[in-house]
Amino acid sequence: MIKVPRALFLPWPMGHHFGAPFHTTLQRRVITEAFQLLETAEASGTIVALPIKWADVRREAKQLTSQGRSL
Amino acid sequence: MMEAVESLKQDPRETGEQLRGGLWHTINQRYPGSMITKADYVPLARLSKPLHQSRVTLISSCGVHLKSDRPMDVCHPLGDFTFRRVPSGAKHADLIIHQLKYPHDDADLDINVIFPIERLQELAAEGTIGGLTANFFSFIGYNMDPERFEQTVAADIANAVVDERADVALLAPA
Repeated sequence: MIKVPRALFLPWPMGHHFGAPFHTTLQRRVITEAFQLLETAEASGTIVALPIKWADVRREAKQLTSQGRSL
Repeated sequence: MMEAVESLKQDPRETGEQLRGGLWHTINQRYPGSMITKADYVPLARLSKPLHQSRVTLISSCGVHLKSDRPMDVCHPLGDFTFRRVPSGAKHADLIIHQLKYPHDDADLDINVIFPIERLQELAAEGTIGGLTANFFSFIGYNMDPERFEQTVAADIANAVVDERADVALLAPA
């Protein structure tokens, strides 16, 4: 345990910490949620879990691929 | 066909169970001394200025670097105790991943999946964040000597981040 001061926890597969390819809205959301922690964390060791399931991410990513564009 | 489906249900890759359950529970038990363990939490540092005035840097263990840069050593049994500077203005096409320890098929399609450099460029351009440091930082997460890692890669990146006058550092594991 490194015991970081604050962290956003994403229960997603390795290599996908900012979401899925071309899913720009989700990639942005992960970053902005992490930045929010800079302002909201009250104590060191704060870990916030982002309530987004990988199954939903994958479904949205498949739609993106089939439409050939980013969200 | 039904047998194939049944065997898939037993497949540890599907069930998430260890191949030889009960042998070890943590990475440190499996590879003693390979993980950094801290007794105390890092003190919480408050933002010194609003986010829209803050200069942001990105530090990642994903092993990404410029295609023109020296590749990471992914073969050494102890790992590679160096890091790479990635210009914050770089685009996906300028970059390559040298790291074998995580699947980067999707990151090869879109580097922002693991190293969101273009999203940070957009956030800086629209003023959500104050700006970006000239360089971001990358290394490979496979380093089997945590003490040496802390004294070399971690210390060197920390010094470089101070030199680049970063207000905020986004750390991303891979």
